[in-house]
Amino acid sequence: MAKVPRNFKLLEELEKGEKGIGDGSCSYGLEDGDDITMSNWTGTILGPGHTVHENRIYSLRIHCDDHYPEVAPAVTFISRINLPFVDQKNGKVDLKKISNLSHWSHEMSLETVLVEIRRAMASGENKKLPQPEEGSTFF
Amino acid sequence: MAALPKRIIKETERLNKEAPDGITAEPHEDNLRYFDVTIKGPGGSPFEGGTFKLELFLPEDYPMAPPKVRFLTKIYHPNIDRLGRICLDILKDKWSPALQIRTVLLSIQALLSSPNPDDPLATDVAKHYKENEKEAIAQSQEWTRKYAVAG
Repeated sequence: MAKVPRNFKLLEELEKGEKGIGDGSCSYGLEDGDDITMSNWTGTILGPGHTVHENRIYSLRIHCDDHYPEVAPAVTFISRINLPFVDQKNGKVDLKKISNLSHWSHEMSLETVLVEIRRAMASGENKKLPQPEEGSTFF
Repeated sequence: MAALPKRIIKETERLNKEAPDGITAEPHEDNLRYFDVTIKGPGGSPFEGGTFKLELFLPEDYPMAPPKVRFLTKIYHPNIDRLGRICLDILKDKWSPALQIRTVLLSIQALLSSPNPDDPLATDVAKHYKENEKEAIAQSQEWTRKYAVAG
């Protein structure tokens, strides 16, 4: 298979994100529409139903460096959230601690990242964790 | 890595040996379907004097599917958006496998000479071109000096 270069993969992801992905429970877009390097993105996750996160909207920041998609993006929660894979000092997500993301592959995408984080939020061990006040942020 | 189709090898060789005027295209060493491209702004256009960087990728199903091309240098043009994406029919529904990398790049060069504000991608730039062409051209020239002139 032809190897799709970073920029053309990100352009495809951008177009997919603009159309809307899945059932709308996750979304993402460029932080700055003028950013020709397409490095900085924002994402949102709608808290999964039947969990402590229900009806909450979480914002995240996603950074894709020059080595994306060979290297996973850096993901940070802006909204305060209590999860074992989120650093409580700065909101940084440790993708290695999320089962479906621990072995990053270049076939994955920003969509995969958000969908898998959301899935982990709803897992048996995480769905009842006490959460900070709604609307509070790490910054 | 899978062998590169003969057609791509031939096109690359020819681009290298007889490059069209004002155009260069060089494949990346680690991905021979991915090209660094430069196009000189055509004489008499608001982009004259500028050298514009682009990137081009030949997808797996090329030449059945068109190449993907994008400007990396900022450019004030009604058919090129803020991320460098190009609105050009042969890159979409008018693509034919009879076309080549060479013809695509020549068409992009021609697009620089004849902006088409009636089929815009950058709607604000197109509006500017329609309402005050003189001022819009001056803006294109200024961006060319600012972003597309080395040093």
